[in-house]
Amino acid sequence: MSEGVIILLIALAAVIVMTIGGILYGRRHSRTLDGWLVNSRLMGPFLVWFLLGTEIYTAFTFQGLAGYAYVNGAAAYYNVALNDVAYALGFFLLPAFWLLGRRFSHVTQSDFVASRYQSRGLGIFVALATALIMIGYIDLNIEGLGAVVHVISGGSIAGIWPDVLGFVVLGFAVMFGGIRGNAWQSAIKDILMFIAIVTLFFVVPFHFFHGFGPMFQEFHAKLGSRMVMPGIAPKMGILWLVTTVLLTSMGQWMWPQWFGISYTARGPRSLKLQAVFMPLYQLIKWMVIVIGFAAVLLLGYHKKEGNNVVMMLAGHVLPGWMLAVFTVAAVFSAIVPAGPIIMTSAGLLARNVYQKIWPKTSDATTYRLTRSLVLPITFLALVLAELAPALIVVVLLVAYDFIAQLFPTIVIGGLFWKRATKEGALAGILGGWIVAGWLLLTHEDPWHGINAGFVALIVNLILFFGVSLMTRPADSAFLQTFFETVYPKKRRVSSVGSK
Amino acid sequence: MIRMLTAWLAAVLLVAFLYLGATALWFNRPSPLILGMPPLVFWFLVVPIVTPLVLGTLYLFDRRYNPQQDYFTDASG
Repeated sequence: MSEGVIILLIALAAVIVMTIGGILYGRRHSRTLDGWLVNSRLMGPFLVWFLLGTEIYTAFTFQGLAGYAYVNGAAAYYNVALNDVAYALGFFLLPAFWLLGRRFSHVTQSDFVASRYQSRGLGIFVALATALIMIGYIDLNIEGLGAVVHVISGGSIAGIWPDVLGFVVLGFAVMFGGIRGNAWQSAIKDILMFIAIVTLFFVVPFHFFHGFGPMFQEFHAKLGSRMVMPGIAPKMGILWLVTTVLLTSMGQWMWPQWFGISYTARGPRSLKLQAVFMPLYQLIKWMVIVIGFAAVLLLGYHKKEGNNVVMMLAGHVLPGWMLAVFTVAAVFSAIVPAGPIIMTSAGLLARNVYQKIWPKTSDATTYRLTRSLVLPITFLALVLAELAPALIVVVLLVAYDFIAQLFPTIVIGGLFWKRATKEGALAGILGGWIVAGWLLLTHEDPWHGINAGFVALIVNLILFFGVSLMTRPADSAFLQTFFETVYPKKRRVSSVGSK
Repeated sequence: MIRMLTAWLAAVLLVAFLYLGATALWFNRPSPLILGMPPLVFWFLVVPIVTPLVLGTLYLFDRRYNPQQDYFTDASG
């Protein structure tokens, strides 16, 4: 039996143990839809930290980002900037979503939209559209898993089996464990991932370059075109960086799973503290980008193999036992983040589509339906990954361009502008999606150096404001109550002295 | 609440400026090396460390002035 197969078996055993642990831990807390999806809004800062982290630090961070730096050079820094600008935005947005969720019993993003705009139809539309976009996003993690298994097995394990295995484990873990089980798996995954990346970050310079100083000197001497923007990626200049970071940082909190994760928190203060400390996580991304640059010097430039460079370097420099730890971390970075995405997709389809169309459906039935949708959704993602990988690549490329089009509806209309209407929201979203789709299909991304999704967002905003001003807003008494939840008029007298 | 919103917007703009404006104005060049690192490598190491300081200051301000506090359900941090 080859070393690669032994390492994969160790990784598989670790996955099974952690999955059973997640199931046992999560089962006690997962007997209602509220408990299963949002942990009855009782999760403390420690677990929320890891839940937030796990959705950002995925297979893409572990493998794709190094590959992106390897192929596109300094443009990869957009990925460090986007999350930190998003955390600054999230400092206010996530607690506001939480306050509204608690006041109006929202469990999903669609609940929020339907409630704010007093429109069941808009809620169903948003639920369906985002559930479909998310199924495409799940496949990012299938691809990551496949890349790990392919490299570690030396190419001997191929085909659909790594993906099938990963999604059987994931499907059952999510179905039985719920969000609480996933949070503990996330904690272990993030710790392993941290150990793996930091180890490689220190081993590579000393093993190949005799230290950090000589390595950075070589970057300077031999990779000059990769150290600046646009450098080797002529379409990715500073204007692209600015518009991409603005678009994606606004888009980050529009992914429906973030609503679910913010609702899990015990209170808004937990969420604010996450916003303060999460930027430190970005140092991991910085290390991954540096590893990607080093890979250019060490492995040469083979554009198609970009996603494999981290695993290839790990295979070169790490001893067998450390490579096993690295592989477990890489496998979990693919499997664990897909959990909240699958749960959110299932919740949206059951609660915000099925139950809204057939309102007599009881909450208990909706909960059972949500759990029973986990495996079909996982399977659909698997089928898509195997049958239409080219489609998946397109979906992933455009996912942020599309999801960010919800920003005017959810943030501007949902938290700041009472005059926004459901017609304005729908016109903006559809207009944005059409423009984004058109620019992408005609290969006009970036458009004159501007991210295509950002151009679409400008069109979206014009439609959102224009159509809203021409149509009637929701009931003013309801809007008064809704907005007062976010903007209380004054502090409670009894607590002023204690603050 | 306006005071808190203004502080939040200022923090967002400052973080965005550090990553985008400062990058464009001062660090998007191949040389000279800063602390032995190419300028962009150096800058994208510094900003993730500075950002928690910015948001931490905002947190302290928010805890003092945000009227939403009374509707929070978790212990004060």
